[in-house]
Amino acid sequence: MLQQLANGVFAGSIYALFAIGFTLVFGILRHLNLAHAAIFTAGAFVGIEIATRTGIPIWILFPIVAAIGALAGLLLERTAFRPLAGRDDEHFAGLISSVAFGGVLIALIQARYGTEPKSFPREYFPNQLFQFAGIRVTLTQLVTLGLALALMLGLAWLVSASSLGRAMRAVAENPTAARVVGVNVDRITAGTYALSSGLGTVAGALLALNLGQTERSLGASVELVGFAVIILGGLGSLWGAMAAGVILGLAEALTIHYFDSTWKGLVAFALLFAVLVLRPRGLFGHLKVREV
Amino acid sequence: MSDEDPILSVESLSVSYGRVNAVRDVSFSVPAGGMVALVGANGAGKSSVLAAVSGLTRPGKGTVRLDGRDITRWPAHRRVAAGLVLVPEGRQILGTLTVAENLRLGAHRRRAQAAPESEMYELFPVLAERRALPAGSLSGGEQQMLAIARAMISRPRVVLMDEPSMGLAPKMVDEVFKVIEEIRASDVTVVLVEQNARRALRTADTGHVLETGEIAHSGPASELLQDPKVVKAYLGVE
Repeated sequence: MLQQLANGVFAGSIYALFAIGFTLVFGILRHLNLAHAAIFTAGAFVGIEIATRTGIPIWILFPIVAAIGALAGLLLERTAFRPLAGRDDEHFAGLISSVAFGGVLIALIQARYGTEPKSFPREYFPNQLFQFAGIRVTLTQLVTLGLALALMLGLAWLVSASSLGRAMRAVAENPTAARVVGVNVDRITAGTYALSSGLGTVAGALLALNLGQTERSLGASVELVGFAVIILGGLGSLWGAMAAGVILGLAEALTIHYFDSTWKGLVAFALLFAVLVLRPRGLFGHLKVREV
Repeated sequence: MSDEDPILSVESLSVSYGRVNAVRDVSFSVPAGGMVALVGANGAGKSSVLAAVSGLTRPGKGTVRLDGRDITRWPAHRRVAAGLVLVPEGRQILGTLTVAENLRLGAHRRRAQAAPESEMYELFPVLAERRALPAGSLSGGEQQMLAIARAMISRPRVVLMDEPSMGLAPKMVDEVFKVIEEIRASDVTVVLVEQNARRALRTADTGHVLETGEIAHSGPASELLQDPKVVKAYLGVE
């Protein structure tokens, strides 16, 4: 039982990391970026390729993966969102063009890496086991949880307390007012995508590290749960995404414990449905990015 | 700087929204430290002129110069950095951010020149008491003071004020005009757009009356206040 709960927290931390990147873009720019899952998948493949080619340790690997993700985010913003800025159907058109960007990215992944799963090199990362109070925990899981927590708290600090975050919240509330005070809205927009995609690629590489391997459908497998997390937490809410990620991870773990893993997929959507009926703005719907 | 070298000049400015020409061939200039009032009826194009000067709107035609430099194509943030700052219509304060955060945003493009926050709190004591509160919780008059303080904290060279007295109680209107007098006494150049034309012309040196997007009358503000045509059409009988 405790073991299941621990596993739920580890899975939940990856859901949360996926979700905060997505919800950040929505909270600040009101864009639904449906390329996020493809960016996540790309992070897994790129992480594995770099680890395989260079053998560099993970504390160097992850910053590189994040940087590549940030670049991909800039490209995504430049190609799928910026050309549409100012159009009446900007938001809907952006949703479609982001689906296209994601499709292109997945096709490129297939062209480069083929259709077979790719694995981290054997013994790339010591899969040491720890025992606490009867719970078995791997070093990978601890690193995952630690990194996810650090990134989420770091992002929350950035948005709520830094001058960059202040400008982001200004753009979130009122882009015109932000321009009036001299915020470079284009740069904040690009930066938000860079940040979001950097978090997305790290989340993908982390999940691949936990699984030991990745395949093209990695993002798709997390996407729906990730979206459930975002809705559960309230679109645009960072704290909501973090809490909802862990809640969903735990709910899945408990389902596996009490029923079996075939029911796991149902949980996210049952919870989602319940929240939409009972609390349509999400569990933390009042705590938007702009108010963090 | 002599009168021949205006700090701000607008040459043959035209602004259109779709097929509507909001501003047609408007030219005026402001000497450093001077104050110009743009007055006229609702919809005469006053706010569109300020939007083009501040960089929020791209003019269809014409040139905007700051210190003789053509800034027509500069983005808004670059103009703010150069000291050309707007106090926008409807205040546009960021209501979910605190009063202090609004001020910091106002200062962030001009860190080197900006005044310390404490100076703004001395000038606007009501903001000092509420510095940690969301700006959205302020009254309309307080929000207008914040919008002005947010512009002034950057120690701008030119302040563009768009309808600063709109929607305020008479007592707050007096307060706002008192602040405008103080600003101009501090040698900051001011362009004031107001529906309260009489009040604006009493404060300014020069006035331009806009009528359906064009300048209909120009002159020293004191003369416009006496001009029977202007009085009849825009000022009414006091």
